[in-house]
Amino acid sequence: MDIRIPNLGEGADSGTVVSIYVKEGDHVAKDQTLIELENEKAVAPIPSTRDGVVSKIHVKVGDKVTVGQIIVSLGAGASGQAPKLVSAAPAAPVSVPAQSQASLVSAAPGDYQYVSKSGFPPPASPTVRKMASDLGIDLHRVKGTESGGRVSLADVKAYVQYLQSLASHPKTPGGTSYMAPKIAESVDFSRWGPVRKKAVSSLRQKIAQKMAESWATIPHVTQFEDVNITSLMELRKKYVGAYEKKGAKLTLTSFILKAVVAALKKYPGFNASLDENTQEIVYKDYYHLGVAVDTEQGLIVPVLKDVDKKNLFEISKDLETLAEKTRSRKVGIEDLKGGTFTISNLGGIGGTYFTPIINKPEVAILGVGKGRHVAWDVIGGAVGATGRSPLLMPIGLSYDHRVVDGADGARFVRAFAEAIENFSEKDVKQ
Amino acid sequence: MNPIQTDIVVVGAGPGGYVAAFCAADKGKKVILVEQEKKLGGVCLHRGCIPSKALLYATKMIHEAESSSARGIQFSKPTVQLDKLRAWKDAIVDKLSQGVSGGGQRRGVTVLTGRGLFEDSQTLRVETPEGQKFIRYQKAIIAVGSKPAMPKAFDLGNPRVMTSTEALELQDIPKNLLIVGGGYIGMELGTVYAALGSKVVLVEALDSILAGADADLSRYVMKYAEKNFSAVRLNTKVSKMSTSGKEIKVNMEFDGKKLEESYDRVLVSVGRASNTEDLGLKNTKVTVDEKGFIKVNTRLETSDPWILAIGDAVGGLMLAHKATKEARIAVETICGGSDVFENVVIPAVVFTEPEVAWCGLTESEARQKGIEIKVSRFPWGASGRALSTDRAEGMTKLILEPETDRILGVGIAGIGAGDLISEGVLAVEMGATAMDLAQTVHPHPTLSETLMEAAEAFYGHSTHIYAPKKP
Repeated sequence: MDIRIPNLGEGADSGTVVSIYVKEGDHVAKDQTLIELENEKAVAPIPSTRDGVVSKIHVKVGDKVTVGQIIVSLGAGASGQAPKLVSAAPAAPVSVPAQSQASLVSAAPGDYQYVSKSGFPPPASPTVRKMASDLGIDLHRVKGTESGGRVSLADVKAYVQYLQSLASHPKTPGGTSYMAPKIAESVDFSRWGPVRKKAVSSLRQKIAQKMAESWATIPHVTQFEDVNITSLMELRKKYVGAYEKKGAKLTLTSFILKAVVAALKKYPGFNASLDENTQEIVYKDYYHLGVAVDTEQGLIVPVLKDVDKKNLFEISKDLETLAEKTRSRKVGIEDLKGGTFTISNLGGIGGTYFTPIINKPEVAILGVGKGRHVAWDVIGGAVGATGRSPLLMPIGLSYDHRVVDGADGARFVRAFAEAIENFSEKDVKQ
Repeated sequence: MNPIQTDIVVVGAGPGGYVAAFCAADKGKKVILVEQEKKLGGVCLHRGCIPSKALLYATKMIHEAESSSARGIQFSKPTVQLDKLRAWKDAIVDKLSQGVSGGGQRRGVTVLTGRGLFEDSQTLRVETPEGQKFIRYQKAIIAVGSKPAMPKAFDLGNPRVMTSTEALELQDIPKNLLIVGGGYIGMELGTVYAALGSKVVLVEALDSILAGADADLSRYVMKYAEKNFSAVRLNTKVSKMSTSGKEIKVNMEFDGKKLEESYDRVLVSVGRASNTEDLGLKNTKVTVDEKGFIKVNTRLETSDPWILAIGDAVGGLMLAHKATKEARIAVETICGGSDVFENVVIPAVVFTEPEVAWCGLTESEARQKGIEIKVSRFPWGASGRALSTDRAEGMTKLILEPETDRILGVGIAGIGAGDLISEGVLAVEMGATAMDLAQTVHPHPTLSETLMEAAEAFYGHSTHIYAPKKP
């Protein structure tokens, strides 16, 4: 019985093995973690699907693996025998550069790159090499299926078919066609001074791919607004201590989450997705909000589920837990999926307006900048009761103009601003 | 005088030039083949591969007859009729040369006899017996080959100091023959003359004979030479030669000692030099390197857009089959094909006793370049065919890529190695693995089984040698 890499969810069909928790001869129990896979934006444990004794491990740390590939083979485990538990606490995941070695495994055909330690070209017969050369195909990109990874005529044909499918369906997810259409020639920057080189991590590659795909396929419009948060910040100041006593940090982001749900309920087009295959707009009656988290390795967007069903305290508490899990890269695949709208709050760092890129297949994303006091006459409004100039929070809402129009974009930011400006104290009180 | 118009002119009719001419004619081009000698075939046919193999075959019989007595079949001592041997050898060369001429005629290739000189990038002047002729061409392929190198210090103008050219003419059987240079030419001709009865002393400046071959393969040849030559001296430098009556006086340094010896003849086989001088290249944009070899790219194009070059004239492995492969690629280039001379496996064969042949990566090259490899060897002492031929000295080895078991190189020492290596070349070209070779049935009892058994030995299941399993 072989245990294979399970379906990992949307857009994720491969990953890099970062740790292996079992060894040959070990008893494993169903659901026990076999390996950890660095995938998409997280490190995911891959559990055993049954009890048994590990007869063979087919992967090693650093291997790039795809859905359906065999991880381990299990022999008949004598049932009833207490399975030996192996390292209950998984070790901290080690970051391994996702360089495919001479390992002959890859994700999409387009990701494959043959590398031989001996420095020899890919194994292929003269006929195959001639055909590839005539067709202008680099055999390093073709995955060989014969013994020793030899590239057969059939492999070249399959690769050509793959290239054709890319050409006729340029939106194929997982393809790298959204990166630069043609890879530019390498520039030798060391000609002008000392340089350092670092392999692009798999997370960075994933970010690059997702951003480029979104930017290339979605007509973005960004709507700016200033939101008066003077009274909201007073509310926050009043309750932050009480929240802390109960074990939650009351942040501006918590308020924003709540206000976003209010705006989304009013304008459901922003809580939707466009199904490009069926030409349908899918409206979602749930509110799962993605929150961009800045980690050491790069941007990760965990999803806070059912925000509409939570009170401000629960939102604050759950947000803190989720962000912490994300920063330590303990967040699971499930925590990264199912988002309906994303918030990127850079206010804590600085800067004002920016134009965030939509987290596809969502329709919109809200970018929040650092609040600042402005003179009252600039916005033509009244100075607050305290006589101080108002504290304004700059926001930029990027949305998919295929799904929603500019008028709704303006309405949405107004609805959001009003929800913030008129935040009810009873929603803060616990 | 109006120049002759043609699509392609090929300069030199060796195994590079005549193949290029035939190949281009087969593709419908109008071709002129220019050769300064009366007969086609070049050095390979007239003063190299073919005559040396004829002599090696013929003289081998002397040894066979001798060793046969140990197997209970006694021959009387063979006598050598040198004139008859020479005539037989020349007849073979003539027959092959006629074959080449006929091949050209049937394809409509025009042969011009005479030396070719480039007037400019698109004009070749040929000095024929009937006078000068000018050829205006679309493309020229230079295939002028190489000649034996003769260092100035040894060039006494005395016919007793020979190159391979003279040695193959078999003027006489010298009593004492010195061979300077232990490469394949020196070792092959040493084998011929030793069999004919010469006392052969071979000196080599490097620390091994047959540079390029792995030491575990060349040692069989070394063993033969040590037994059949008077002496084989490595790390030896010849400092001076001079004529002394009917002998050549030679000064050399060997083992820290200065020696002065006299020989009836000396064969200088220290390498080959390109024939690119006196070709009028300075009238073209063709560039040469410091050794006089023409610089070409992988499509065999020179720096002159009208001119391509192939074979020994461009350096690299100076072997007939390399020139032939390049000829085909050069013609492809002219006809708009995409072939390039890249990752082409060129086998090397030394027709010594026993033969040594290799292709692809050698063990010594891998060590030199720091390439990680695995080596599997099958000694011929375990081969039924080798033993029943009374020639158990030999070895077949595979050079493998560790993670994939891909065959990167093959080396063979033993009788018939030159013919056996082709399977290795195919394996390397096909990207075959040791498992492919092990799984392929080889006929019993043949020497070809040694390739299969070397592969089996790698997996620890060779039938005829015991090798512990891989860990």
